[in-house]
Amino acid sequence: MSNDSQLLKIQDLYACIDDTSILKGINLEIKPGEIHAIMGRNGSGKTTTANIIMGHPDYEVESGTVELNGENLLEMETWERAREGVFLSFQYPQSVPGLQVGNFLRKSVAAILGEEAAKGKEFRNKLKESMKELDIPSSFLGRYVNDGFSGGEKKRFEILQLMLMKPKLAILDETDSGLDIDGIRTVAKGINAAIRGTESGALIITHYSRILEHVKPDKIHVLISGKIVKTGGPELALELEERGYDWLEEGSED
Amino acid sequence: MKSEELYLSLDEPDNADHLWRYSPWKRIHPTGNIREIPKQYKQPKIKLSYLDGSDLPSACSITKEESKNKKNSFSDPVSMSFIESVSHDSKFTFKVENNTILEKPILLRIDSESLNSAINLSIEIGRHCELELITLVEGKPEWFGLLRQGNIGEGTIVNDVVVGQMKSGTLLRVDAINIGKDSQVKAGNISSGSEKTKADLRYMMDKSGSNLRVLGSILSAEKMHIDHHIEIYHDAPETYSRLDWHSACGGNSKTIGTGMLRVSDGSKGADAGQLFHNLLLSKKAEADSIPELEVSEHDVVGCGHGTANGPVDEEQLFYLEARGFSPDDAKDALIAAFLNTTLSEMGSETLHQWLAENLQDELKSLTT
Repeated sequence: MSNDSQLLKIQDLYACIDDTSILKGINLEIKPGEIHAIMGRNGSGKTTTANIIMGHPDYEVESGTVELNGENLLEMETWERAREGVFLSFQYPQSVPGLQVGNFLRKSVAAILGEEAAKGKEFRNKLKESMKELDIPSSFLGRYVNDGFSGGEKKRFEILQLMLMKPKLAILDETDSGLDIDGIRTVAKGINAAIRGTESGALIITHYSRILEHVKPDKIHVLISGKIVKTGGPELALELEERGYDWLEEGSED
Repeated sequence: MKSEELYLSLDEPDNADHLWRYSPWKRIHPTGNIREIPKQYKQPKIKLSYLDGSDLPSACSITKEESKNKKNSFSDPVSMSFIESVSHDSKFTFKVENNTILEKPILLRIDSESLNSAINLSIEIGRHCELELITLVEGKPEWFGLLRQGNIGEGTIVNDVVVGQMKSGTLLRVDAINIGKDSQVKAGNISSGSEKTKADLRYMMDKSGSNLRVLGSILSAEKMHIDHHIEIYHDAPETYSRLDWHSACGGNSKTIGTGMLRVSDGSKGADAGQLFHNLLLSKKAEADSIPELEVSEHDVVGCGHGTANGPVDEEQLFYLEARGFSPDDAKDALIAAFLNTTLSEMGSETLHQWLAENLQDELKSLTT
């Protein structure tokens, strides 16, 4: 590991999918303990950024670097990135009929934090406590992963995983979409519990300022046409809410 | 007519026939000489107990005798008469008295060891019973025949799971089960062994209110050839059936699932559906599924069928890998999940756990 104090460092990242350029020179740095947010319209490259960091095979990195604590993530497979401490809360989590939530959680925690962390009283207590915090009933453990879950249940289940896996970097891709106000509060509580007061960091991808009222990001970045065109403090979210994105589009390149 | 005479009087089945299209009788017959009826097949080892090994109450028994009840006539005569012909010393009746309720699953273990053999099993389950039965077929013979025919009584609830887990050879299985009025039957089928499996499973619902779910969890690996034909007859009003068949196919294996739903005239309110899913795990694995319908009644709730083939879903793989699963572990977990969707529907949690544990080694063989 280098002496770089950045938790996440993205430099000049260009990426495409099926020969269509999406990211056109992203630069982003997150320090340990920080929460950042990326806002932008649909198609601006927010989810692509999340998928590139996690290593989705459909996306091709054309140039640039992505480092976690100085380690080159782009040289790692997805599962190695997960074990290195990257967590992606999916916008559309996959359902896996036949795979029970309880088994899935145990296997995931064992893969990321080691076998010992996934058994015994400590794990059971942490699971119980986290489920309580997210208003998830214990019967949830017997269901199949995301199978037949409502939109809200899927998002809360993603946050439950975040709380159990204790990643170094959590990327939350539109975790607030489709949630009502109570759901947003619950999810925000989970994010704060997992990140605040730790050396971990988070990157929240969202369209709306509401979740940011509860999570209070350190920085907000605006992504337009694959580039970060503005970075500011939490007040930027309110400004975007009032003014939209048009005023930032002038001067950005397609 | 004796079964030998009946068998020898029959013509060789036509390979164009739905039942024999993918596994001609010549390939399933123990010697390939279809005029031959092998003699001196020995009786396989049989043991009936609760799943935990404890003894059953006297209301539930297996005896070495042929049932006096009328035989079901809706099965294929060739395979049925052949198994009857080679199972002279192995005629058994599994009987459950009326109103018997068993709290724990029961296990009928049939071990052919390394000898070719066959069993002719009559199943007589009385009225208003509740039970779960696992029939486990194991051993290392070159050929084994299993004939199960019988009746499930009125108002009875039964989970009837057959596990084909022979280590080698050919398994010929014929089921002809008549389902009673207002009874609820789950017929689970697990096939994970034997190089060649030919199964002809038929269920008759000729009394109103009967409810049937046929479930399949099929694992084919290496050079296995697994062929299941399932026929469900709706021959009474207000009958319900669903067929859900999941096959995971690896190596150079081939799996076949052919389904036939027959809804006869007068079966008003019948509700029937069949769905075959095939998970292809290698480029050389093959899966054929052919669901068919014959509906002669207009006033039905619904009659549908479908089939889906595909490899392991890339987005599901990515999701699991994003949770730290190695690519191999993620694939194994998805295969197990695919098979578990039908496996978990076959009965109680106790039964499900036993089945899942019993299949661990076979699951490994799919991916290695």
